[in-house]
Amino acid sequence: MAVRLVDTVLREAKKRNSKKVLEVHLLVGRLSLLGHEQLRFWYKTLGKGTIIEGSKLRISVEKAEVSCGNCGYRGPIHFEEGLYDHIVFPTLRCPRCGSFVEVVKGRDCLIKSIRMVA
Amino acid sequence: MRNVVKAEEGEIFDVELSEDLLRANEELAAKNREILRIHGIRTIEVMGSIGSGKTSLIAEMVKRLKDAYRIAFIAGDLTTTIDSDRISGQGVEVVQINTGKECHLDANLIMKALKHLNLESLDLIFIENVGNLICPAEFKLGSEKRIVVVSVTEGPYMVVKHPFIFMEADVAVINKIDLAEAMGIDPSKLERDALTINPRIKVVRTSCRTGEGIDRVVEALGL
Repeated sequence: MAVRLVDTVLREAKKRNSKKVLEVHLLVGRLSLLGHEQLRFWYKTLGKGTIIEGSKLRISVEKAEVSCGNCGYRGPIHFEEGLYDHIVFPTLRCPRCGSFVEVVKGRDCLIKSIRMVA
Repeated sequence: MRNVVKAEEGEIFDVELSEDLLRANEELAAKNREILRIHGIRTIEVMGSIGSGKTSLIAEMVKRLKDAYRIAFIAGDLTTTIDSDRISGQGVEVVQINTGKECHLDANLIMKALKHLNLESLDLIFIENVGNLICPAEFKLGSEKRIVVVSVTEGPYMVVKHPFIFMEADVAVINKIDLAEAMGIDPSKLERDALTINPRIKVVRTSCRTGEGIDRVVEALGL
């Protein structure tokens, strides 16, 4: 993912003949499996020696939102807490009626914007 | 006349995008799905933990289905051909993908594997993903159905610790059920955990060693 991120940023910067990238804003869904710290580390490492070097990686988390086809619920994903001590996990159960829900937000990993110097 | 505003040298500007980093794989997965659909091939992807019984499950299903379907097997593993060797002994066409150090298969590798198969002569493909309950969830391959295999020898928390892969799967297999008592594991708890995470998932308890439950997996897959 870090490689794809760096490649995409470099491609977009090159398209605009930019001399330097200052900041990249990434929107990472709550349900995406991306490790933010690892991503930052590899972004920095892979960016060395490129126009990305020194730039800031800003990560915003997109909350998970689900939609229930049975009762019409639309809202935060339900986290199950009561089954095991100290283990909390997300579920695809509707918090209202217990039916299966579709995830409408929270799975993406998007580059929202790139700040660069012309 | 159109006025084009260009940034002056040294000027700072923002580029708004909505560049989806996962999109490349999603698009290839969709292409794979379409190729398979056009050829009328049903594709089942088997994910699961290391040593949970993915290959055994596929071997057992191949045994039962090879008269009704013309089957191929795509095996994903880091470096060996151990898994594919087990299945090729059953007279099934096999493609081995060695992922090197990559811990999951992706749609691109499957697309390459499909080129090695004579799709005209196939009805059913089993894909075995690398033993891993984390990464495969995020990378669709283009299969019709996804199974996740865990076994009672992995402890009681294997399902709740990996909710994302159970969200992605259509069928969950709890294998080595013949060892549940020896392990002190209650398989109904694992089943309940899977259904809590994904109310739509079908859970089947199996023992690939004794053959218990395999027919129910076949049924759950609609084969």
